[in-house]
Amino acid sequence: MKSPSRTTALVAAVVVQASLLVVAVAPRLSARVRGDTYLVRVEPLDPIDPFRGAYVTLRYTEFQPESFIEGLDGDVFVPLVRDGDLWRSGGLRDERPSEGPYVKCRYDGVLRCGIESLFLPQDKAKALERDLLDGGVARIKVDSRGNAIVLDVTAS
Amino acid sequence: MTKAHEVSSGQVEWLRREVAIWQAEGLVDEAGAASILGRYTASRRTTVVRLISVLGAAFVGVGLISLVASNIDELSPTVRFIGIVVVWLGAVIAAEALRRRLPDHDAEGPDANDPDANDPDADRSIAVGSARIIAVAAYGATIFQAAQSLQVPAYNSGLLGCWAAGALAYAYASRGIGPLLVGIATLVGWFTWALGERSGDDGDFVVGLMVGAVVATAVGAAHERGALRTFAAPWSLAGALLALIALFGAALPDVGRDGLDLPAVGIAGLVFAVLAAGAAAARADAQGRREIAAVVGMLGAGLLLAAWAPVDTTDELSGDELMHALVGTAVYLATAIWFAVVGAVRDRPQLTNLATAAVVLFVTVQSFGVFAPLLSGAALFLFLGVILIAVGAVADRGRRRIIEEVAE
Repeated sequence: MKSPSRTTALVAAVVVQASLLVVAVAPRLSARVRGDTYLVRVEPLDPIDPFRGAYVTLRYTEFQPESFIEGLDGDVFVPLVRDGDLWRSGGLRDERPSEGPYVKCRYDGVLRCGIESLFLPQDKAKALERDLLDGGVARIKVDSRGNAIVLDVTAS
Repeated sequence: MTKAHEVSSGQVEWLRREVAIWQAEGLVDEAGAASILGRYTASRRTTVVRLISVLGAAFVGVGLISLVASNIDELSPTVRFIGIVVVWLGAVIAAEALRRRLPDHDAEGPDANDPDANDPDADRSIAVGSARIIAVAAYGATIFQAAQSLQVPAYNSGLLGCWAAGALAYAYASRGIGPLLVGIATLVGWFTWALGERSGDDGDFVVGLMVGAVVATAVGAAHERGALRTFAAPWSLAGALLALIALFGAALPDVGRDGLDLPAVGIAGLVFAVLAAGAAAARADAQGRREIAAVVGMLGAGLLLAAWAPVDTTDELSGDELMHALVGTAVYLATAIWFAVVGAVRDRPQLTNLATAAVVLFVTVQSFGVFAPLLSGAALFLFLGVILIAVGAVADRGRRRIIEEVAE
């Protein structure tokens, strides 16, 4: 009988597809489900992704190093240090901190932590960009492995 | 009397030629030949219906992804995600249910594109193909919806890679050619994008593309034997496209200027490509082995061109740079001619047309490079226009001659 084997193959393919779906969003899903919430300062830009529409690019002003760091390349870690109601960077580390909240990022001259894009309907993306001219505050969630997700942004 | 089957005019033409040969060899008499030919009638209906259905399914797929991109905030992200998952799984189930209604649904091979099916079967087969295209596009939309809801950073090549892998898994499980085409297109897109992100310089990029070309050609050749023979052509076409892009780049004067310093992942890619080529050659037919050997040779040529750093003495073109450009051009033209011949031998006009278009594009770009410093404004465009008309005519004549000579 060939039909059951074809059906089994299809079910297996759908399971593989569902697994790939989880893999594609795993760090952000982990932060969303298991992370704790922190408030950090941001500044906006406003481009469009062809597959997912309008978004605001967020620049985490207090995460970025002041100048290029020679010899640092690949995975880096940003410890979060409380500063009043907000959290700021405790400096870049090339080793995973043993304790405390931290964000896992990549550095190749530019710091990317996976929380630089906030997807919104186009009108709201433009409005947010205007509202954030003087900067804003991002609410992010970070899990115990440093995976982060941005939840929302408000004007400061 | 048996009802005549409607098939494409190209298939009728091919059958006429074959039957004439059979008659000449004494395999069938005149009455038999007339009887065979009488079983088939040329119709554009099936082709047109198939084209319209595929276009319709493709539009629905693009529409689903556009719907995700429009980020409708009247619906919560969870509702949007569940909605697109329902469309994806619904299309998978619908395609399977339609396939099971086909009379030969247990047959091996990609049944959704069987051109020999009679009218009602052909219509249902087209419906299966359309449902599969919608399923594979809806799967991509599901990934993008999840990524949008979870704010995965924009322009993340990994999402396209996951879509490609999922599309290929579905293509092989369903044996559908539509999902395979989507899978290969997204795979080539992801591979080129990811390679561009990670390549240290243009030499790495050229070698990476050639590695992709060898693997795709090997997969295509391995498919020439077995139940999934119709999967061979798309892989072969992808291999040719990657090889032509890679060697196009290798022939440009500035490529290879810094020499080649492959990272560990590049060397691993080369080893993998050679192993894949060897494994496929063991399974392929004689023509398939020739195609694998040729593309491995192209990989070698690409490596040499990328590693060959011409001595740059002054701002003007040095003798070494001129030699690099000439060798690169010769390799590129030989590659394009090879793929045109393979297209004719395998009866794959799309491959021959790709090679012809590649030659015309190459001559256009190289002509601009050579003549732009010498001519300006209107004179440049008039001169290049004449050159291109001549090249187009010569290339088309060459393409026809190759097809005729191989047919003989």
